[in-house]
Amino acid sequence: MNAINKLFSKSKDLIFTKFGPNPAKMLIVTGVLGWALSSAAQVVAILVNDKIPKEQKMFLVPQEICDGAINVASFFIVTSAIKRFASKLVSTGKLANVNIRKFLNKNPLIDNAGNKVIVGKNLNIENLPDYHLIKDDYKKFKNGIDVVGMTVGSILSCNIITPLLRNKLAAKRQQTYIAKNTTYKVPRISMDDYRNISAAKFGGLKI
Amino acid sequence: MPGISSVKLNTFTRCRDKATEFALGLIGTKKNPNPTIKSEKLNHTIEWIGKNLSSAENRLILGASALLSQPFIDAANKDVDKDTRKISICRTVAKIIAGTLTGYTIRKLCIKSIDAFTKLPEQIKPNMKFKKMRKALTPNGVKSVTDELVQYKNAFGTILGLVVMTFTNFLIDAPLTKYLTNLFAKIGGVNNERNK
Repeated sequence: MNAINKLFSKSKDLIFTKFGPNPAKMLIVTGVLGWALSSAAQVVAILVNDKIPKEQKMFLVPQEICDGAINVASFFIVTSAIKRFASKLVSTGKLANVNIRKFLNKNPLIDNAGNKVIVGKNLNIENLPDYHLIKDDYKKFKNGIDVVGMTVGSILSCNIITPLLRNKLAAKRQQTYIAKNTTYKVPRISMDDYRNISAAKFGGLKI
Repeated sequence: MPGISSVKLNTFTRCRDKATEFALGLIGTKKNPNPTIKSEKLNHTIEWIGKNLSSAENRLILGASALLSQPFIDAANKDVDKDTRKISICRTVAKIIAGTLTGYTIRKLCIKSIDAFTKLPEQIKPNMKFKKMRKALTPNGVKSVTDELVQYKNAFGTILGLVVMTFTNFLIDAPLTKYLTNLFAKIGGVNNERNK
């Protein structure tokens, strides 16, 4: 019981330290987890469904895993790239609010290591010696821009890139399947059945 | 082998940094290369988003924007026949509505539940139920309500929500999606006999 308590306590602290100061990171991690769990649940649903013949399961399970991988990869790559860009916009001082700009204009741009840094290029505001003077303003502004970036990224990946990729892939699969069945002239699945499976397969249910 | 991986990783990091640097260069004008947000209102909105936008609101935004894009992507998919295209539009709209409704509600409820058991000692009122458990989820060493604590509750609630949604995905989303698909197909006059 003590071990469970310790583990629970450690988990709470981990969530607090990792996600507390960085809401956009939390949204990305939980977004990836959401897609992964959603796909895993779909795979389990196919595996435990007695109404689906074993032959079809052998086709549907890898297909579902493939769809899941596309969802997770597209979400992670696109969203984290845009979030990273949004972060850099603020940390380099390229985009700032009035208070941050005033701070940057007033202070000499030399970082903690003594190197001269340039706004919009190699500056990292968090590495400036007087960073503590602007920390509150900076953190609030950066978190806001990060979350905006993450939201734009997730809209792009979930609503545009992923559906386009999935439609292409599903259509290719449909054509391959039909071609295969025509060659052997043994219709293992009717067109109507395929339509239903195919329509049902345009994307997993995002949780 | 570790050498090869680290070379690949370095190349990836370099490419990523170059791409970010290039994208940064596209922001701003010659006259004003480093833009400043001067509007107080806009600045407050940005700060409000950073503090208050949880995964539930994010799911709502995703759902609303999905309704504006995904049906049109399906409608433009010439790789499948007309019937499949029509039924996939109905299913996509149904899936977005069902997924957004359950996704938003469950996330919001889970975040509220976590909030109820992440109290500081001074927040526990005498008339509260389950007083002993109210601090159960409060992280160690937290003395006041900070932005970090708000984000912690959002994160914890979202993780709990994901676990809950693994089940509701089948118990609520799937049947609701099927019902709505059939309803939309009926309204749109799409032949959807097999889905009934």
